[in-house]
Amino acid sequence: MQKVIERILNLLAFLLTVDRPVTADEIRHTVAGYDRDSDTAFHRTFERDKDLLRRLGIPIEREATDVFEVEFGYVVHGEEYALDDPGLTDEERAALALAVQAVGFGGQPAGQEAMMKLGGAVGSLEGTELGADLGDQAGTVALAFAAISERRLLLFDYRDRVRRVQPYGLVHRRGRWYLVGAEVGSDDVKVFRLDRAEEPRVGDRENAFTPPHDLNPADAVLRQPWDAGDSPTVAIVEFDADVAWIAERELGSGAAIARSADGSIVATVEIAEAGAFLGWLVGFEDRAEIVEPTSMRERFLVMIEGS
Amino acid sequence: MTNSPKTAGRINRLLAMLPWVIAHPGASIDEICKRFGYTRAELIRDLNTVFVCGLPGYGPGDLMDASIDDDEVVVEMADYFSRPLRLTPPEALGILASGKAVQSSGSGGEALDRALAKLERTLLPAGVEAVVVDLPEPPLVPELRAAAADGALVRIDHTSVASGERKVREIEPWSVFTTLGNWYVSGYCRSAKAERVFRIDRIRSAERTGEAFEPVPAVRPATVRYTPSDDDTHAIIRLEPSGRWVAEYYPVEVLDDRDDVMTIRMSVGDPAVAARLLVRLGASASVVDGEAIEQATADLRERIRARYAARARND
Repeated sequence: MQKVIERILNLLAFLLTVDRPVTADEIRHTVAGYDRDSDTAFHRTFERDKDLLRRLGIPIEREATDVFEVEFGYVVHGEEYALDDPGLTDEERAALALAVQAVGFGGQPAGQEAMMKLGGAVGSLEGTELGADLGDQAGTVALAFAAISERRLLLFDYRDRVRRVQPYGLVHRRGRWYLVGAEVGSDDVKVFRLDRAEEPRVGDRENAFTPPHDLNPADAVLRQPWDAGDSPTVAIVEFDADVAWIAERELGSGAAIARSADGSIVATVEIAEAGAFLGWLVGFEDRAEIVEPTSMRERFLVMIEGS
Repeated sequence: MTNSPKTAGRINRLLAMLPWVIAHPGASIDEICKRFGYTRAELIRDLNTVFVCGLPGYGPGDLMDASIDDDEVVVEMADYFSRPLRLTPPEALGILASGKAVQSSGSGGEALDRALAKLERTLLPAGVEAVVVDLPEPPLVPELRAAAADGALVRIDHTSVASGERKVREIEPWSVFTTLGNWYVSGYCRSAKAERVFRIDRIRSAERTGEAFEPVPAVRPATVRYTPSDDDTHAIIRLEPSGRWVAEYYPVEVLDDRDDVMTIRMSVGDPAVAARLLVRLGASASVVDGEAIEQATADLRERIRARYAARARND
């Protein structure tokens, strides 16, 4: 491994200083660590080294060595290589390091490499446990993030159709990642569940669109599943004493609550998407009941009858 | 000879450590180790590597210079490694989302707020708050977290999500965590005499009993995904097109899928869980086979029907 690391550091040092596309052949005869290999061995080694550097995020481009475009070589442009320094203080680094320690994706901590690139952190992290998990969609979410940060289109299959989306924002809510964006050719801001986006890929062109300036992705994603829809109905629902506290917590601040002496409550809540609300209500089994409107009561009774 | 992930990890750390050391000549070995997670031996090995690498020619004037004098480290002749490497999208997302998760839960501070604002400025286009993490802490999270840290026995009033059963339990809380949108406390339940995981939003109240227990060091959060067991109840269920989402949402086995009708096999620990789902699905699902679940579903329908009928009679 020692020789590999030396060779790769030499390769990178050369690419970062030479400032022009250099051919594989030139690299082979110039950079220490390559020259003694056979043709096949050289190419195999060189490809592997290049892959490794790219995986680390080093932008190795393949470009023509001159205007005639006969010969191609490899180049690393300094401005694309380097981190745009956010200018963190050590106190801010420590706060980030604690967060990185406490949060994971699919059981794996994320952001430790980023932390090092940002200058590492001093201070004790012992005793910090992984307290939050943001799900196992890290790959798709990172692709969406890349598209957002460079304003590229994000393409993916969604409900049997290929979507070409201008991605504006990512929202993690109720345990899921949502993408907020507009399909190409439409101004409607839509919300896509990223766990249902298949074969995501990022568009070729940078700065392919301008996001609407007044958009707040957090508001685009529903806070409650029954918030979707245009003409809300006011529903009055009774919850028995033993489940009233659960209903109150789950309804959140959107509901008006009236309490009875026996501990039961009557909640008044605006419902835009009745199907989602009725589905949620089934979770309370026979310890909740729609009082009004009659139409919603009837719809619920039809639903529970099944076929 | 392959380029293993270990090699990548070493190079990544080297390329992060060098710019910092170049910008802070004379930094102590201890501080560098702490910042970049090195042991002393690992750092010295990496500095020894730096020292034999450099530019073509590879003579004394071409190689980087790394020296340790009196525990102070100086790296010179390495200007090309003086700037840290940009973050890859997974790295940038990882650090930003982690920070935002802690911020949203309310346990961050001003330093975190400032750090996130700086990161957003450099990592994302201006204008839109492009990454939002909504992870509000329900009531009792801080209390349970503190009890876990203190090793304090807690009496909880808990209602099971699956069975709806309410029970007062004494637990030794080990760890408080959130995953898939819910918060949980794991620990040893003295009432059940076993390890258990409880959803915190189903804990009505929690109070310390005054008794202490020996805290368990560094527990990994328990998994809360459905795990099959021999005691599970099964049913074969037929889904109409409007009920197909069930197959994406729940861990079920798709047995057949043709002409818009999907047949699935569902396994649950408690028939009540499947019954609620089936009632919710209305006409979109029907049980083909599975007596216990079919019975639980019929019972649930009957109980709801009875309640609604009672009010209709009173009116």
